Amino acid sequence: MLTLCLRRRLSHFDLNINVVCREPVTAIYGPSGAGKTTLLNLVSGLTRPDSGHVELDGDVLYSTAEGTDRPPEARRLGFVFQDDLLFPHLSVEANLRYGYQRLTPAERRFDPGQIVELLEIGPLLGRWPQHLSGGERQRVALGRALLSSPRMLLMDEPLASLDQGLKSRIIPYLRHVRSDLGIPILYVSHSVAEILELTRQVLVLREGEVLAHGDFFDVARDPEVLPLLDEYGLENVLPVEIVGGGEGACTARCGEQILRIPACHRPAGTRLFVGVRADDVILARQSPEGLSVRNTLRGTVTEVAAVGATRLVTVDIGHRLVVKVTPEAVAELGLAPGLQVWCLIKTHSLRLGPEID
Amino acid sequence: MLSPQEWDVLGLSLRVALASVGLSLPAAIAMGWLLARREFRGKLLLDGLCHLPLVLPPVVTGYVLLLAFGRRGWFGPVLDALGVTLAFDWKGAVLASAVVAFPLALRAVRLAIEEVDPRLEGVARTLGAGPWRVFFTVTLRLAAPGLWVGALLAFARSLGEFGATITFVANIAGQTRTIPAAIYTFLNQPGGEDAALRLVWISVAVSLAALLGSEWAARRARGRQEMR
Repeated sequence: MLTLCLRRRLSHFDLNINVVCREPVTAIYGPSGAGKTTLLNLVSGLTRPDSGHVELDGDVLYSTAEGTDRPPEARRLGFVFQDDLLFPHLSVEANLRYGYQRLTPAERRFDPGQIVELLEIGPLLGRWPQHLSGGERQRVALGRALLSSPRMLLMDEPLASLDQGLKSRIIPYLRHVRSDLGIPILYVSHSVAEILELTRQVLVLREGEVLAHGDFFDVARDPEVLPLLDEYGLENVLPVEIVGGGEGACTARCGEQILRIPACHRPAGTRLFVGVRADDVILARQSPEGLSVRNTLRGTVTEVAAVGATRLVTVDIGHRLVVKVTPEAVAELGLAPGLQVWCLIKTHSLRLGPEID
Repeated sequence: MLSPQEWDVLGLSLRVALASVGLSLPAAIAMGWLLARREFRGKLLLDGLCHLPLVLPPVVTGYVLLLAFGRRGWFGPVLDALGVTLAFDWKGAVLASAVVAFPLALRAVRLAIEEVDPRLEGVARTLGAGPWRVFFTVTLRLAAPGLWVGALLAFARSLGEFGATITFVANIAGQTRTIPAAIYTFLNQPGGEDAALRLVWISVAVSLAALLGSEWAARRARGRQEMR
């Protein structure tokens, strides 16, 4: 459990956070310049707040009232940055050991071999950071942080500089960190899809203030949060299970619904996330005929929210699906809570996301 | 090849120049870090003071040193009490060279430290390394090529030091008569041109060797970071 009570004057606004994170993984979402990175820096001790209190599992890391200010090296928090920040003068192996060798054997929670195996970075050990790809570098940075036996991981948009394919390959490692190693994570991101693939618990920041905190789908109903979520393109994430393959497409099950998703060469029974952008879904009042679209999912409208000049319609198809439409469409179709609709999604509008284990 | 007298002059010059690097480089590293990494009141003034020996005529620097550390100088009694003699001694020549070489070393070292991404130092802190360890294992390691450049500049400047040295500790054979002072002495003696010219060649050889050696070391340091 992480208790944060922090105040700090920034150039454009005051950061003022007062929050208790109980879930193992909390995502911090917010527009650029909302104070997300500053918040992580304050937690890590790399930046000092003007006043406040930081407590992790009953251990006070910072407190103005008690006069406590543990230096970063004594907080045991692993920090993974957007740029991996590997030490350029050290080999991959020496990078991995930098934090590890500062610990007494009793403090070491993981064995280097275990982490190397988990992150599949064995073949990279003798190489130099300059010669690694972006995904490899980010995995090494994660391994280096893990080997310092952190009590919590602070991750600042660790996947932002990677392409979609690499993101999908790295997210399962993060899920392992959470479930197998039991390390809580504070995860800064401005990708809704990335957050949903990791956790449902989200903290929304705007201009240094906590706008909302809680389950993503509860938070997403907040009329102030919705525009922020929409800003970077809202992407729905659905958990599916592969049922069969086929020419150019696979069949997958999402709850009661059957989906045709892009061919993914994975055996039946594999569970994974698929993403679909809110503006890539078409709503229809009747089941349409004679269309090339492969997926027509039946659902019930639960909510219609106005965000600027667009409307975000939430449809319950067994999972919540947010669809972006125009106000005219809402009027013409008479979209309102309780209405039965069909959601049309092209197979190729579905993004194959990371596997779920 | 060299006469015993020339060996003496060369040996003294190298001793003075190396000791001067040993004195000015650590000071330049400390001051370079302070100027590159910290913000404080009076930083500009401190920066200016550090660069003073670079812009002052060396004779002025030497005279100030004489006023401060001469036998009758401000710190004369303190030095006496400690049993340290600087006046007319090779150690005084080291001090004069170090003071004059310091701003050159400082510029190179400060630039090198500024080049090191402070976020790398931050990562090292979160990985459990204290400030000193971070300084030695990250900052200095990454600034190494610049440190070699600073060392070379300080060495070369010390080897060529004349004005401050001769003003502060005079020109005494075996104590403070380094190559430039020896050349000056020979040129003031009738028929001393040949001897002076030999010393000129010696100083060219030493400077060239230092330049190549430092370049090689800087390349090695840089290569460790980039070439692999």
